[in-house]
Amino acid sequence: MKEFTYTITDPVGIHARPAGQLVKVAKGFESAATMIAGEKSADMKKPIGLMGLGVKLDDTVTIQVEGPDEDAACAALEEFMKANF
Amino acid sequence: MALDYRKCAQEITDVIGGAENIVSAAHCATRLRLVIVDNGKVSKKELENVDGVKGVFESNGQLQIIIGTGAVNKVYDEFLGINHIEAASKDEVKAAAAAKKPIWFRAIKSLGDVFVPILPAIVASGLLMGVVEALGKAIPGFADTGWYAFLDLVSNTAFAYLPVIVAISAARVFGGNLFLGAVTGLAMVHSGLINAWAVGGMAASEIPVWHLLFFNVKAVGYQGHVIPVIIAVWFMSTLEKWLHKHVPEVIDLFVTPLTTVLVTMFLTFTIIGPIFSTAESYILEFAKWVITVGHGIGAAIMGAIYPITVVFGLHHMYNVIEAGMLAEGGLNIWMPIASAANFAQFGACLAVAIKTKSQKNRAVALPSSLSASLGITEPAIFGINLRFMKPFICGMVGAACGAIFGSIMKLGATAYGVTGFPGFLTINNHLKYAILLAIAGGVAFALTMVVWKGDDDQPDDEAKAEKKAAKAAKKAAKKNGGDVAAAVAAPAAAAAAALRDAADMPKVMGTEAGEVGAPTKGKVIPYTEITDETFASGVLGEGVGIVPEEGVVYAPYDGTISSVADTQHAVGITGAGDMELLIHVGVDTVKMNGDGFKAFVKEGDEVKKGQKLIEFDRDKIKDAGYADTVVVLLTNSDDYNEFAPEA
Repeated sequence: MKEFTYTITDPVGIHARPAGQLVKVAKGFESAATMIAGEKSADMKKPIGLMGLGVKLDDTVTIQVEGPDEDAACAALEEFMKANF
Repeated sequence: MALDYRKCAQEITDVIGGAENIVSAAHCATRLRLVIVDNGKVSKKELENVDGVKGVFESNGQLQIIIGTGAVNKVYDEFLGINHIEAASKDEVKAAAAAKKPIWFRAIKSLGDVFVPILPAIVASGLLMGVVEALGKAIPGFADTGWYAFLDLVSNTAFAYLPVIVAISAARVFGGNLFLGAVTGLAMVHSGLINAWAVGGMAASEIPVWHLLFFNVKAVGYQGHVIPVIIAVWFMSTLEKWLHKHVPEVIDLFVTPLTTVLVTMFLTFTIIGPIFSTAESYILEFAKWVITVGHGIGAAIMGAIYPITVVFGLHHMYNVIEAGMLAEGGLNIWMPIASAANFAQFGACLAVAIKTKSQKNRAVALPSSLSASLGITEPAIFGINLRFMKPFICGMVGAACGAIFGSIMKLGATAYGVTGFPGFLTINNHLKYAILLAIAGGVAFALTMVVWKGDDDQPDDEAKAEKKAAKAAKKAAKKNGGDVAAAVAAPAAAAAAALRDAADMPKVMGTEAGEVGAPTKGKVIPYTEITDETFASGVLGEGVGIVPEEGVVYAPYDGTISSVADTQHAVGITGAGDMELLIHVGVDTVKMNGDGFKAFVKEGDEVKKGQKLIEFDRDKIKDAGYADTVVVLLTNSDDYNEFAPEA
């Protein structure tokens, strides 16, 4: 399993549209990806779950990736998060 | 040269990438604070060159533009206008919600808002006053000691200067300057005026009269008055706010406070004060008369309305009635009525303390009821009973029962000022007084236990009322064998949240797990025609867009709310077969920061098809420059074999 933490710098946080794009990235890999924010966690392949986390500006989230292509998935997600959130 | 605020705001807008690039705007004393979508579009160089901008920097994710004190708020106002942003705080949303309520409700709420913050002062003084008076009567000679004089002074400070405390609190409620509010209150009890308590013993010729224009104003203070003070401060706050808006900023600092104080004081002493204190006097006369009517009936009526007079602060004047009765050589027959009324509020409040499941309510209710049993009922009334309303009314009934008993038994006191338990020290028959308290408190307690349904049972919280109505509707639906349409015929109380008729919610998509009804009325378009690439691309799942003809979103199927956006413009609902539906009102509307949206559900709520989820203001969305298309997407549509949108 691989994981990284990231602090949101996007003022709107993870909302519908960005969540959709993030899901698209996560779905491109076989590995399971989970986002943990505070006490909640969500499957990163499900946009509703991601939105339900209510992640806002300055929140720190932990992303865990587990599966055969976890290295690539983790790198792609980290890069996407940095570019978009 | 004065700064052209509009030009300044317009230029700022232009160089930061236009209205689309602004998430939110706020301002502090000197700076305009903007949250920007894409900082890359902001040209700091050009921004610094805008006439009126004294500096620019970024901090805490905000673009902060220094404009300077006095000017920043005016640039901000223009800025909001140009970019169609609304400065909506939670308080304003609340205020807007409250503004829809009937005027009597708002008036009572304002009174509560004024009194609740000053309760510590009233409680401290009231309890100490009860103890001091009781000691004074119980221990011979104590009343002549220095301790008594000292404690008496401490205990009556809050009451002697009540108008000042009320005025400051009222200024805060009505949005006026606190210190101007204090001045208004202080002026009304100024030591240069004759003390209102002393007027009774003075001949009319001894009271100085001022001739002001057409008015002859008696130079008498407003000790013990509450309503004239609140009205005066309300007027002051309104005038002050109006002046701030209309007086040029250069002279605002000295013109506005001066005008506000002068006009307010003049009107207070000539019109507001005399009218409302006369009205108060009539109420006193009426009260004095009514308790003598028909074998306890009048006493019962007075007992019932007594707590209402407490709400208006009129009870601080009842000492006049009681003193009058004693002066005429009789017994104080007012005290048993007041005592019944106060003790009934104690009973009602105690019932709430026992029945409530909320720690917070219990923490207020217990000490408040204790205080009420000693005769100080404001904490119980404003903190608990009036808030839930039913306990207050139960208290009125209990008071009436106790008062009628007291009147028939010819109970009376030999002094005034104390009720409740301390009243035993002054009453003429201890056993009968105990029975009176038992009746008043007992009836109110028992009634409240029966009638009050619990923490959700209150009239002033819309969300809770909605929830209750929804529950009622759900219950009605169950009763009717789950027939949702029949629930529409649920009683009027449930009508607000009654379920929409399934016939008005045509199917917009379906899977093997079930079908999705139209969450709102309007033209259904394919999701690919939604004017936003993310939604149209299918990344968030497939579905439809609805061009709404109304500003309400209803649950498209039975399910559980899986997410509600903080900005209240989008919800996720999980339904049968794990269908995960996203309903998103409008495109880009996240930037409206919740203004114009109201969600009626929260995460984890169970909803029935047709239950109201969100209300939205189509005009506001339009004004903000966004499309109001309601996006309905099945986010996991590719998990289903038989997904079929109806557009």
